[in-house]
Amino acid sequence: MIILFVVLPLIVAGLLPLVGKVSRRVLPDVLANATLLVLLGYAAVAGRALIAGGPVLQQSSWFGEAINIRLALDGFSLLMLVAIALVGLAASLFSIDYMEHYGAKANYYALYLVMIAGMNGLVLATDLFSVYVFLEVAAVASYALVAYGLGHDELEAAFKYLMLSVVASAFLVAAIAVVFGMTGSLDFAAVAAGLRELGAGPVLGIAAALFLLGFGLKAALVPFHAWLPDAHPSAPAPISAVLSGLLIKVSGVYALARIFLNVIGLTPALSTVLMGLGTVSMVAAAFLALGQKDMKRMLAYSSISQVGYVVLGIGIGTPLGIAGGLFHLFNHALAKGLLFLTSGSVQQATGTRDMDAMGGLAKRMPVTAATNLIGSLSIAGVPPLNGFWSKLIIIVALVQAGHPVFAVIAVLASVLTLWYYLLIQRKAFFGKLDEKWAAVKEAPFWMTVATVLLALLCVGIGILFASTVTTWIQPAADVLADGLHAVTGSWGF
Amino acid sequence: MILQTALLIALVIFSVLAIVLKDLLRSAISLAVSSLLLGIVFFRMNAPYAGVFEISVVAGLITVLFILTIALTKSGDEVRESRLVNWVFPVVFVAFIVIDALVMKGLMGKIPALAAGAESGTFGDVLWRGRTLDLVGQIAVILAGVFAVLALFRKRDKHD
Repeated sequence: MIILFVVLPLIVAGLLPLVGKVSRRVLPDVLANATLLVLLGYAAVAGRALIAGGPVLQQSSWFGEAINIRLALDGFSLLMLVAIALVGLAASLFSIDYMEHYGAKANYYALYLVMIAGMNGLVLATDLFSVYVFLEVAAVASYALVAYGLGHDELEAAFKYLMLSVVASAFLVAAIAVVFGMTGSLDFAAVAAGLRELGAGPVLGIAAALFLLGFGLKAALVPFHAWLPDAHPSAPAPISAVLSGLLIKVSGVYALARIFLNVIGLTPALSTVLMGLGTVSMVAAAFLALGQKDMKRMLAYSSISQVGYVVLGIGIGTPLGIAGGLFHLFNHALAKGLLFLTSGSVQQATGTRDMDAMGGLAKRMPVTAATNLIGSLSIAGVPPLNGFWSKLIIIVALVQAGHPVFAVIAVLASVLTLWYYLLIQRKAFFGKLDEKWAAVKEAPFWMTVATVLLALLCVGIGILFASTVTTWIQPAADVLADGLHAVTGSWGF
Repeated sequence: MILQTALLIALVIFSVLAIVLKDLLRSAISLAVSSLLLGIVFFRMNAPYAGVFEISVVAGLITVLFILTIALTKSGDEVRESRLVNWVFPVVFVAFIVIDALVMKGLMGKIPALAAGAESGTFGDVLWRGRTLDLVGQIAVILAGVFAVLALFRKRDKHD
């Protein structure tokens, strides 16, 4: 019953506004978090057993009528489902206390669960048009969530995000139309087989370019990144965590990797383009992050830079490179989720995101400071945290594949990353405590629980990285490394 | 063929008008006319359902929403655009027309295509049996839209 990943959050979302009439706070909190806990349990505990004998495919019937709901669960989608449920749960636990002063909590959770349903649907979809539909589901919910605070900045950021996102969707629809025109089908397996049969060089190039523009905008790769540093900081902290931790990866990187590697097939030219885009994002966004004073804006630039690493890793196209890219995707989801949540704790306690105005907060908020430090060091790639291992795998893969220059750039960008994360630590948490922060208190219980959960995962995965890679990352990387065969071989319904 | 060309040219002209006109009401009406023409083109190209939806939803319903919204805004709210904006669209449009004229005819002949087969059938078959998952997605988009309206037009409690 893998359709539960889509339908369960949708049903709960539909009920939430009604539940909100009865109980304004407690019931919506419990329902939303319980839903995500169920999804996490299902994905993390039952998921591996489900795909043990090859990918799960589902084509349902409803009251005896044949309907066509094709969903596929393989290693790659399972990894994404686990990441979505994990970061989704942490952000929703954080929302219990954080969203208290925004009001209309039931409505907030309803939008939140629709966004989760959209991401889950995208990850399980087996055809191009369904990918587009679920991309829009997640996107429409996220526009409203970015604007949730209703302030001037939030509305402006949401509008800018909406406009660029619509352009991305238009490119994607155009690309899907070109592919449909050529192959007469939308199904991944049929399209992959059809494109191989046709051998359509130049026209396929146009479709690939349109896909790249669309998914590049969604993943906020440089030079398509202009919307992200506005949209992500303006959203409420748990939404920033989900947007940066999950949404750009699901609707950008996942869809891009699935379509380019499993449906179109990774050619050397495409590989070079992806590696180039990844490297440019990685370096340019790291420099842009250095100059930021707003804590969340710096984190947003850092997301662009780290997605660059992921795309660089996947773009290499070797099994090791893909594994490194996916591992970094997972680690970055956890660590960036954690950092955005802690920045939310700081913003709620101090009322500012300006790092120059902070200082010495570690004395007043020890848990927040410690978890933030773990997240920072993890993304910067300091051993033994999880981010170190994934960056190491990407760099080793670059050297093995004969790209030493890219490897050196990746190491240097990592140094830049460490630099700006140490800036956050120095400006916000260490140093002398400013008089005006004397009354600042540690974040409330649930906010602390959420950040501690993610911090423990960062440390735990860092220590147990070998078993994490073999159980979760390798099956996902195998699917992508398998190329077209992954969908044409076992997905033929 | 002549009628088709005339329809397509008119479609482009009204689409351009929708972008260039400064008066929002006229712009919305130009958009409605262009989508009406697109609906007719769909109909003439054996896609009656697409034509019906284009005309009823895009030309009809959405235009009503646009006009309602314009009626609710006050005059004096205009935001002045930079001069650059006035230039960008015409330049891009002309460049597009030139590239289109040079490349598209040659390209259209070269697009290889397989025969469509798997996803054909009557409208109802395609919608209910063929694209059931998309219906679930549609429901989700509508839910998201409703919740978005509820969230963005809520009474601001304590915040702000």
